Amino acid sequence: MESRIQRIFLIGALLIATATASLAARADEPKADDNDELGKIITPDLKRRTIKESDLDTENFEVGLYYGLLTIEDFGTNEVQGVSFAYHITERFFTEAAFGLSKLQKTSYELLSGGVQLLTDDQRDLTYYNLAVGYNVLPGQVYVTKKFHFDTNIYFLAGAGNTHFADKNYFTYNFGAGLRFYSTDWLSIDLSMREYAFTHELFGTKKDTNNLEGRLGVSLFF
Amino acid sequence: MQKKIEKNVQYVLRKIAQLCSCTIILWSLNASADGFWDFDLFKKDEPLVVTVNDAFINVHNGAGGGYPIFHVVERGEKITLLKMHTEWIKIQTERGITGWINRSDISQTLSPDGNKPDFPDPTKADYLVDRFEFGAGFGDFDGAKAFDLNLGYRFTKNLSAEVRFAQNTGEYSDSRIVALGINHQPFPDWYVSPYFGIAAGQITTSPSTTLIQSEDRKDKVFQANLGAYVHITGRFFLRAELTNDYILTSHNTNEEVKEWKVGFSVFF
Repeated sequence: MESRIQRIFLIGALLIATATASLAARADEPKADDNDELGKIITPDLKRRTIKESDLDTENFEVGLYYGLLTIEDFGTNEVQGVSFAYHITERFFTEAAFGLSKLQKTSYELLSGGVQLLTDDQRDLTYYNLAVGYNVLPGQVYVTKKFHFDTNIYFLAGAGNTHFADKNYFTYNFGAGLRFYSTDWLSIDLSMREYAFTHELFGTKKDTNNLEGRLGVSLFF
Repeated sequence: MQKKIEKNVQYVLRKIAQLCSCTIILWSLNASADGFWDFDLFKKDEPLVVTVNDAFINVHNGAGGGYPIFHVVERGEKITLLKMHTEWIKIQTERGITGWINRSDISQTLSPDGNKPDFPDPTKADYLVDRFEFGAGFGDFDGAKAFDLNLGYRFTKNLSAEVRFAQNTGEYSDSRIVALGINHQPFPDWYVSPYFGIAAGQITTSPSTTLIQSEDRKDKVFQANLGAYVHITGRFFLRAELTNDYILTSHNTNEEVKEWKVGFSVFF
């Protein structure tokens, strides 16, 4: 009887021992994790790696919207809206592509003569695109307080493109200057002037025209 | 004609939509497998921390050489690289001061592994391998004024492929050329580096409507190009080119047109 009770106790002890052993074994697993955690705390959380240029976020592209007034010789002053896309190559040089939409008014001749119409309504829709190289000629800063400042840039640009109206493309040279005001690193306001020079033959003879545009735009850098 | 274009555009748009939806489905399938929803587009990347390895580096208060130096970081100091604007890098010091250092100063720092950060020398030709090229130029196409755009990809130091687009505005007719070409640049390391190439495409000629009412004409065109890149700064090049265009017309004789253009190219 005694030996039987002893045996029961022994079996019980054995069961408890294996249970605790397996529990301990299971407990060991997270323990290993704990060591890793500890390791993470002791060694700084920096991967031993070489930093590459491509790891760094660049903000060289710029996309913008603008609105302004465009004067087309003989066809009045009209609202113009457009999109611009720029790539900044160095702190001085950039390239800019622009696409704009406008509408032509009636010429004075059409207004005075009464019934005469030189162009149809569709032919009065004007679109232009151009590509230019720009140069930031006067980089500057405006100080609001002793330390708080905004960066600015006065730039010149020149390029060429096409102007389309009256069912034809006119090869157009463009020149311009503007003031770019950076409200943050990635947002800028642009106040600028452009001149578009092209030749047309709408009135029978060749005519060189100089057309001015004043505009205000907002751009994002990404 | 216009209907055909519209149809094509619709087809392409539908294909893009299909592709997008397929990708989304694949993604979501993948999602259930391994914590996809942990994916966070706006997750902060690991900060790029470098250690200054020179007596000091000047910190400017704007992204330009003319902007005042208001701070210096000294040897052993850790700085975090935030972003790059042209050749200027915005940094933050351990004390939270932000400013701009020049890209060339990065060679005076060490990555966490003890090596110099890998910022390639912009004057070397290797720099341009695996990069896209965007170029624009203006020139003359048989008396017409030409406006050219090209988008290319450089496979090796010597070889690149490009899509060329040209709008020629003439007195009597306008024309558009769309072509696909390859260029070979035998000496990419030279300051003035010549190249030659061939291209094939289509030319659409439309006579001025004020003169005569006639249909647009479409012909095949082959181009042989000879030109040169002149390195200006970093990834900015001047590009000049002479092109011989062979237009396979529907008449008995083929037209041969000489064309030149001057423009710029940017690698990005």
